Amino acid sequence: MEVGRLPISASQRGKLIAAGYTTLSSFSSLSPSHLARDLKISDNEAAEIMRVASHSRRLDGSAGGCGTVNGAQTAWDMLHEEEMFPRITTSCVDLDNILGGGINCKEVTEIGGVPGIGKTQLGIQLAINVQIPVDYGGLGGKAIYIDTEGSFMVERALQIAEACIEDMSECGGLLRKDFQACQLKMHPNNILENIFYFRVCSYTEQIALINYLDKFISEHKDVKIVIVDSVTFHFRQDFDDMALRTRLLSGMALKLMKLAKDFSLAVVLLNQVTTKYIDGSFQLTLALGDSWSHSCTNRVILYWNGNERYAYIDKSPSLRSASAPYSVTSKGIRNSASNCKRIKMM
Amino acid sequence: MTPENLLHRLPSTQKCTFGCPVLDRCLGGGIPCNSITELVAESGCGKTQLCLQLALSAQLPPSLGGLSASSLYIHTEFSFPSRRLHQLSHAFISSHPRIFNNDPCDRIFVHAVYSADQLFDIMPKIESFLENMNTQLPVKLIVIDSIAALFRSEFENTPIELKRRSSLFFKISGKLKSLAKRFGLAVVVTNQVVDLMGHSEGMNGLKVGNLGSLVSSGRRVCPALGLAWANCVNSRLFLSRNEEVVGEENGSVDVSACGGGDFLPRQTRRQLHVVFAPHLPDSSCEFVIRREGVFGVER
Repeated sequence: MEVGRLPISASQRGKLIAAGYTTLSSFSSLSPSHLARDLKISDNEAAEIMRVASHSRRLDGSAGGCGTVNGAQTAWDMLHEEEMFPRITTSCVDLDNILGGGINCKEVTEIGGVPGIGKTQLGIQLAINVQIPVDYGGLGGKAIYIDTEGSFMVERALQIAEACIEDMSECGGLLRKDFQACQLKMHPNNILENIFYFRVCSYTEQIALINYLDKFISEHKDVKIVIVDSVTFHFRQDFDDMALRTRLLSGMALKLMKLAKDFSLAVVLLNQVTTKYIDGSFQLTLALGDSWSHSCTNRVILYWNGNERYAYIDKSPSLRSASAPYSVTSKGIRNSASNCKRIKMM
Repeated sequence: MTPENLLHRLPSTQKCTFGCPVLDRCLGGGIPCNSITELVAESGCGKTQLCLQLALSAQLPPSLGGLSASSLYIHTEFSFPSRRLHQLSHAFISSHPRIFNNDPCDRIFVHAVYSADQLFDIMPKIESFLENMNTQLPVKLIVIDSIAALFRSEFENTPIELKRRSSLFFKISGKLKSLAKRFGLAVVVTNQVVDLMGHSEGMNGLKVGNLGSLVSSGRRVCPALGLAWANCVNSRLFLSRNEEVVGEENGSVDVSACGGGDFLPRQTRRQLHVVFAPHLPDSSCEFVIRREGVFGVER
């Protein structure tokens, strides 16, 4: 356990650290007089510190004599955990394939593209697909949809929800499973009820909401995805102090990453594109600047290739760069209808 | 902070009809409330006509597709077309005889704005105007005709100025959207087009939305104000006007046999396209402009 977490005065803490004692285990086996000599404090004070330390250790419950940092996991445990959570499908097979099966929980995925490419459509599709019951291979969870631009149209969400239910009923019929268990009792209105929709109209509201999500999600443990559409809009105004903007953005990014990890949910951030002057010409790039690009685990870029929509994995620690076509239909995001499509590996 | 109950929005977002069933069908019911819709076209295609028509049909009750509302019409370029408005309103009253006691033109509040900064500065005034509205026919439609005129002349072509310009886009759009959310307004802005020079590799040729290229008057065009502004609107509709030889499309006229196209009868064909919208598929609709207003044409 870290010395920094002990309930002792700042000067005592400072003395401990200055003398080289950064963890409890480093001084727990000393005698109080030895500690007093090292820190140049009275014996009584040293005894007091040792008492507080052993009390905290007991509370903490860690018998960590081997000095492991509190909260560390082995990679094996992490692999097990990852396999416990299925990914959230996008309803497009090619897109799911390049994503390694779908959007991953515990990670922040950023999806950006020009207006009209289908970012909001993908956001709504994910908010609905997260609700696919476990029996059908989904997570059976709920969604939080944070709308910063006003693009969410309820009739479109209803349309996509109805198509999703239809697809599931077809699937259930084909699988011929035990009908009692898989009888689909979902109604499009239920799906809409399971989307917690927030509309924010300024960056202050956006930040306040993201700070509040901690509390909200601990009261609604079945939320499995948080979608922010779009994360950029309110930050593209002029800030008198650009350093403030960077601080706010990184604070927000950290908060979101923590949410994803702590509650094992997927965070999907939809972003806009802007032009950047690189090497003498203007090129398309995701908005919010270079420092923001470190804030997400995965980055997907949606773009037009002729008349077809494509998605490209721009950055990911575990997925290889690849692009795949998809289409936006009346049923939502679906496979591309083109005959000559193929997944291009880069 | 509590989440909004989406079931309260059912069966669909409130929309303002155009007063024409064909146009409404193409656009899923009309112009949606609580969002910004952009009408892009070159001059003379009918943007202002459509806006005036909307300002009138907004006064219809919801049972007829309207909003039972007054409108705020902000014009920026030319003086307000009051003569045309009166013409349209006569036609409007005669087609809805029992609805209006007073002159519908009284329910359209007009304001002139000459610069982008001025537009941003009057936002608080607009907000208090909306707050203090009488509740009989509150303002639920704001038209800005045109937004392009506010930005096109006063910013130089340097990176700093362009950045300031695009930051102003987001400020104005953010404020309009927050007013739209607070009062349930439909916001319509009109935008101009610029010609596409040369090949389509540059930024202006970037495909934004459903149409590979926007063509009007036989030229390739693209909406003014660039990519930044495209990110600020929720939906974009493109009005095009092209000349066509009469009968060419159904094959009844052989152009080459007529010894040159000069003597062939031509007609103007006007079309409304959905460039992008979160609730609409790629669709388009032909329309005509008559004395009584803008009407869609079934093909």
